[in-house]
Amino acid sequence: MSRFEVRHRDGLARHGIYTIGDRTIETPCVIDPIAVFPDLASRPFSNIPLQADEAFVKEWFEKSGEEPIPVHPVLSEGISSGDAAIISCWHTALTNPRTYADWVEQFISTLPPDAARYAPASALPSNAAMLVATGFDLFDTIAVDLRASQGLFCTPEGVYPGSWIDEGVCSCPGCQSGELREHNRQALVSEIRLAAALLKRGELRELLEMRCRSDAAMVAILRHLDSRKAFLEGNTPIARTTPFRAYTAESMNRVEIDRFEKRVMNRFSQDRWDVCVLLPCAARKPYSFSQSHKKFQEAVAGRAHEVIVTSPLGVVPRELELIYPAAHYDVPVTGYWDREEMHILTGYLAEYLRTHPYRRVISHLEGGASSVARSAASEAGIQLEESCIDGRPTSRESLNQLYDALAGERKRSHDIISGTIQWQFGETIDTKGMLIKGKGPEKKIYRGRQQLFSFDPKTGLLRPTFEGWSLLSGCYQVRIEGFVPQGDILAPGVAEADPAIREGDEVLVYGEGVRATGRAMMSADEMRRSSRGVAVKVRKVKRS
Amino acid sequence: MVLMVSRTVEKPLASWMGEDRIEGEVRRTLTIILKSGGCRWNRCRMCGYRFERYHTMDKNELTERMLSQINWIEGNYRSIDYDAVKIFTSGSFFDQDEVPLEVRDRLGKLIRGKIVIAESRAEYIVSPEISSFLDLIDCGDHEMPLYVAIGLETTDDRIREKCIDKGMTFGDFVRAAKTADEADVGVKSYLMMKPLFLTEKEAIADMKTSIREAAPYSDLMSMNLCTVQKRTDLEYYWKRGAYRPPYLWSALDVLLSTDENVSCDPVGGGFARGPHNCGECDREIKKAIDAYSLSYDRSLLEAVFDTECACKEEWRYVLEHEMPWCMPLTR
Repeated sequence: MSRFEVRHRDGLARHGIYTIGDRTIETPCVIDPIAVFPDLASRPFSNIPLQADEAFVKEWFEKSGEEPIPVHPVLSEGISSGDAAIISCWHTALTNPRTYADWVEQFISTLPPDAARYAPASALPSNAAMLVATGFDLFDTIAVDLRASQGLFCTPEGVYPGSWIDEGVCSCPGCQSGELREHNRQALVSEIRLAAALLKRGELRELLEMRCRSDAAMVAILRHLDSRKAFLEGNTPIARTTPFRAYTAESMNRVEIDRFEKRVMNRFSQDRWDVCVLLPCAARKPYSFSQSHKKFQEAVAGRAHEVIVTSPLGVVPRELELIYPAAHYDVPVTGYWDREEMHILTGYLAEYLRTHPYRRVISHLEGGASSVARSAASEAGIQLEESCIDGRPTSRESLNQLYDALAGERKRSHDIISGTIQWQFGETIDTKGMLIKGKGPEKKIYRGRQQLFSFDPKTGLLRPTFEGWSLLSGCYQVRIEGFVPQGDILAPGVAEADPAIREGDEVLVYGEGVRATGRAMMSADEMRRSSRGVAVKVRKVKRS
Repeated sequence: MVLMVSRTVEKPLASWMGEDRIEGEVRRTLTIILKSGGCRWNRCRMCGYRFERYHTMDKNELTERMLSQINWIEGNYRSIDYDAVKIFTSGSFFDQDEVPLEVRDRLGKLIRGKIVIAESRAEYIVSPEISSFLDLIDCGDHEMPLYVAIGLETTDDRIREKCIDKGMTFGDFVRAAKTADEADVGVKSYLMMKPLFLTEKEAIADMKTSIREAAPYSDLMSMNLCTVQKRTDLEYYWKRGAYRPPYLWSALDVLLSTDENVSCDPVGGGFARGPHNCGECDREIKKAIDAYSLSYDRSLLEAVFDTECACKEEWRYVLEHEMPWCMPLTR
């Protein structure tokens, strides 16, 4: 019997503690498989290729009562919480990107989330980030030792001739003593530690986008996975507090962007606005802190709904500029927008304009963003006005043009509270009488003397108080059964959870005679399927 | 039009002259691979011969076409040029559904007086069939004029079933061997090194055991090194990186480990689809195994086995660390 508890998640990746006998292993981790799982030494003639079909697997699959428990793409039952699952011959999956993605989805959706996953003979320094990012926890030195026996030198960037050990590219103890096997092992262990450290920060994706460059198959795996939006969305935290570095072509396909935009299209409504001005983004986040946006806001003077057109996010209404990843992303700015980028952004903006009808849409954009606006308007069948007359949105002339274009339009203000609640909870509430109080990052929302929400300055999301929750109609709730929480809610205590809940979401916990506010530490799906780990970090408990 | 086709000259799938060591002597051998009605079992995971057969054909036409192949042999090889004949079909020479009796008799008459090795599955080794064929070819020149060659593959029933799907047990083989023995027909056992689903180490161990266990029932033994034939299960796995043919080092290891004289023709040796090492040392080892099969001079094998090549370290690593749950480690 063993135990596995996930402590941190970053997308499909996890950091956890695996305990077997008196051994405690912090994952992701390189293990000596035979030492940790002695049973592995005695499973003769038991090979079942990953690629075997169901009939063959049914006939020949040998179940094991000992850890690690073998699983197969066509037979992933039989694993319990706390087990270690061995995905035999996983190294043969790495060369076939499409099936790799199929199987990752299959295993992650069917294996208990609190079972550890062992990928034997797979890990190299150059693919460790991918393995960790696709949900594996346990690794071994078989692949790197094999490379050493072949006289090959492993680095996070790829596999090179063994003579590199004398090139001074690495100064690990193995390189100093001229032992290739030692170097390869060191390089693997370091890379896995790096991946672990970054996943705890929520920055594993950035490492992955770097590392996958060593192998076309890995780039392909990343692209195949990115195309599985529904699967990834359920396994991606609602927000992070770290930068979102959109530096590669693959960054455009990140599910966080897709989710942000889907919520803009489907959840957010512009309500009372009937004039829209499309504005360029700014390097400074939130945009309204930048010099350029201060000028834009001065020119608009509350007479139009400000909507920022930006890469890679697409469309960011002013109300949502604090929300992850709008306030967190960074892109390389050259002034040149490539076609793929423009195509994606045009799609987003056209859809926004279709789902959010305005009487007037004014483009105060230049360059690529301006082209995007023109194509999107024509796609959406909308007459586009333009106010940037000299290719410089911040020039006096353009700003004057914008100011004049809005002459006679009614003054309103952006309702950040309503917009954020719509985006976050998918509900529209009456915000009349609500006031945002507090200077600096810690802003609180009151109605009269009653506090309803506070802003999380790191994510831009709202934290409802009990009174705030009472304005929402029962969404994002977690039902517990049979106990009064003494602290955080653990997964086995969850009886029911709104399937919309993602890691990082604000939730309301309720049970017999008790309610609690807090933050989800795992998705609803994981709460349902786990029997270990913190499900909700509780902020306040109230007995009733 | 149909008549025209049936009268076209049919050639065997392949035929060639070579040398084999039989009864302590190197003999000039004619090998013939006949296109037949096809193996009735037809399920072995590595077998690509099942596609090389006549499809949906009545017995008369099959007989006619196969007789035409025999005529072609007669017209293209002079009897005086060979001492022995090895006959393969895509299945069993002694299955009358596959090779009509008339064809068998006609070939028997043609090669009368030669040492004949004919391949068949164990279930078709029955006494009237083999005895009557023996009578046809035997003219008293040889101590053992006829051998039946049986693809035993391995003596381990579990491996034969899971990894090959042969539909035969070691017991079936032993019974066939006894039937042959009682009819004064020799037995040649074919073993298969490294079918699907075995680690390199398991494959080596399986061959060592199989040689030991098959020897008492075999007059001749031959070890085939598994090759990847087109449109097979084996090819499906190989293409997806789930199978690797045996290392030639492993073949040497097996051949050197036994005192039995086991012949081996490393077909496809050195190619990705066949038994191979790294590409550097394959040719020399293949040559040594070929020479060994004619002389059983172990020093030929020892000489190449003792040669160091960069890939030997990899092979040693694979032997030690490749497990059923992480294989194949190399391509």
